[in-house]
Amino acid sequence: MIIQIMIIMITIFNKNMIRNLFLSLIICLPNLGGKTFAREGNLVLLQSLEGRWQFSIGMNDEWTSPKFNDTSWESIRVPSPWEDQGYNGYNGYAFYRKKITISSKYRDRMLYLNMGYIDDVDEVYLNGKKIGSTGSFPPNYSTAYNAERIYYIPAEYINFDGSNQVAVKVYDAEQQGGIVSGDIGLYSGRNSVNLDVNLQSTWKFQPGDDPRRKEPNFDDNGWSEIFVPGKWEDQGYRDYDGYAWYRKSFVFKTTNENEKMVLLMGKIDDIDQVYINGTFVGSTGTFPSRHGEEASTGQEYQAFRGYYIPVGLLKKDQKNIIAVRVLDTGGDGGIYEGPVGLITQTKYIDYWRKIKRDNN
Amino acid sequence: MKTKHYKSIAFIVLALILGIPVHAEDLRKIVSLSGSWRFSIGDDNKWASPSFDDSGWDQIRVPGKWEDQGYNDYNGYAWYRRTFRINDIPSDSPIFLILGRIDDVDEVYLNGREIGKSGKFPPDYKSAYDRTRKYIIPKELINANGDNVISVKVYDSYLEGGIVEGPAGIYIDEDNELLALNFSGKWKFQTGDNKGWKYADYNDEGWTSIEVPSVWESQGYEDYDGYGWYRLKFSLPQNFTTGELYLSLGKIDDIDDVYLNGEHIGNVYDLRKDFGYRNSGGEYNVRRVYKIHEGLLNRNGSNIIAVRVYDEQGLGGIYEGPVGIMSAENARRYKNRHHNDYGNRYNSFWEYMFNKFFGNDNSNNDNYDNDF
Repeated sequence: MIIQIMIIMITIFNKNMIRNLFLSLIICLPNLGGKTFAREGNLVLLQSLEGRWQFSIGMNDEWTSPKFNDTSWESIRVPSPWEDQGYNGYNGYAFYRKKITISSKYRDRMLYLNMGYIDDVDEVYLNGKKIGSTGSFPPNYSTAYNAERIYYIPAEYINFDGSNQVAVKVYDAEQQGGIVSGDIGLYSGRNSVNLDVNLQSTWKFQPGDDPRRKEPNFDDNGWSEIFVPGKWEDQGYRDYDGYAWYRKSFVFKTTNENEKMVLLMGKIDDIDQVYINGTFVGSTGTFPSRHGEEASTGQEYQAFRGYYIPVGLLKKDQKNIIAVRVLDTGGDGGIYEGPVGLITQTKYIDYWRKIKRDNN
Repeated sequence: MKTKHYKSIAFIVLALILGIPVHAEDLRKIVSLSGSWRFSIGDDNKWASPSFDDSGWDQIRVPGKWEDQGYNDYNGYAWYRRTFRINDIPSDSPIFLILGRIDDVDEVYLNGREIGKSGKFPPDYKSAYDRTRKYIIPKELINANGDNVISVKVYDSYLEGGIVEGPAGIYIDEDNELLALNFSGKWKFQTGDNKGWKYADYNDEGWTSIEVPSVWESQGYEDYDGYGWYRLKFSLPQNFTTGELYLSLGKIDDIDDVYLNGEHIGNVYDLRKDFGYRNSGGEYNVRRVYKIHEGLLNRNGSNIIAVRVYDEQGLGGIYEGPVGIMSAENARRYKNRHHNDYGNRYNSFWEYMFNKFFGNDNSNNDNYDNDF
């Protein structure tokens, strides 16, 4: 009997070793493949955006707009530090702009813009709509020079088969600056989610924890802003682990208020509890029952969140408040990957059927 | 969840060391439900209805996690539906629906009526991913001459989801053949503990109805531990056998006191030695067969069985048959049939060693109130 147990325990031990070996091989694979990203689940390069971009130092809100005429701007090579292209010694704000065409054959896929590594802080717009931001601009400056920028592009922002304006606002504090390196391009992921309410935008954000923050009438005016999705380490909260709350208000427009809606929260590092108008709608992971108690987390950060909302909770044509309590137990934190938004159950079922067909 | 793997490995190691009997029932499959089911993610109570048209739905293999079948990364609600026919409904045995392991929470309907559930759906989410689903099917719900529809509502929090591990089918428990009178089915049930509930003339009309045998967790008492009482009123058929009789209550989690017409007829501690159990802690696995004293049964009128159950933790209740009256000969046969369930008197090597050195024949459960 004892020998039997030992044999089985040795077998389990060996299996784990083999599995770990296998896992480390899988983790190495994306590096060998070059243009895929493990984090986003194998993105495929559709169109390289390396080469000449329009460029200007300075900063002006109009420069994010597709209507702005940048023909008088300088041309600059991307990726490369601007110091190497005639702007030696320049620190401060600058803009990059480029027009791209996106084929309608990618309409059903999730599309991502990879802007590579930007030194130090950036904000990226497509057709005047912000799609992502990394690092933090002055006055609360925080660099994110070593973070790769991969931004999800909501399909409703895209002018398929036509011209699309990419605008990148960059801030460099010191030394080299600009879009310095990386595999700049347009990438496709799996099938797109056609959200009914897109919540990928700027949210209110506050570290710490307080149960009152779930209440719809809680005053979050003093809170800072954060872009969702995006880990908070890249947005001014470097090295922050622990509790934080996100809040967002939105108007729910629908023609059928009896249709069941699903709230997609993408991926959250590590665990979350979500409230709509003060009512709990979903959670992934187990929060400590008492404050100060250690939370045990595992693979929750990899789980794709879809919370089914009871019919009647969302107020039609009125302001609704969503509040998300997040606990990050170490490493990256926050609502870091989309899609984030509301979709009807009917469309959500179709979405998964399509994914299944693609997988087979 | 990493911890799930740790839990299952820990369980295997524990099972090996402690020798937990994983399977000891004489179940016979009468309908197989493995293979292709209709499947849709999402949630809609209309999908419980047998008349709902699921022909447009996707198909999925059962058992098997949905992540392996095109739904990689999906978390949340999903429904499974399957139509089956059953030709012979055995009259002498309860019928069980077994769906194996479901990750994490489920609620099962037969022909539109709920027959059992495990775990808790959000907002008070609680996983039951490590529990084998076995639900008693009330026979009156079965359509003997046509199609029957099983609808399973599943909720998965994260990682693997669905009806993940078999077996899946409809089963009968062959031990029921040993019963002269079968008491499986609806009993009266009340949580709590009260001395008056043992009496034959106690009025239990306000009590709820519960299916026996079944863990009470699957019958609406998901988080309940502690005391619960079962009561059943019955009459003997005419010309019922006059020999020595035994009351079988199958397995009870954890401890019981059994009353017939107000008289105490047994307690698990009376039986442990007969079944090779020497230590405390294994009461939930002891098969209850209590002798019915001469003259206690009312042969012409009604009789009342009252069973006081104490569940220390985890699953609770009269959870495995056979439940009913046995002749002395069948009671002996039943004991012999299951004598080896527990690995030759001792549950495991470790239990044997423990008993050899610390032999604790009469230790009772500390939390159980014996001075009742």
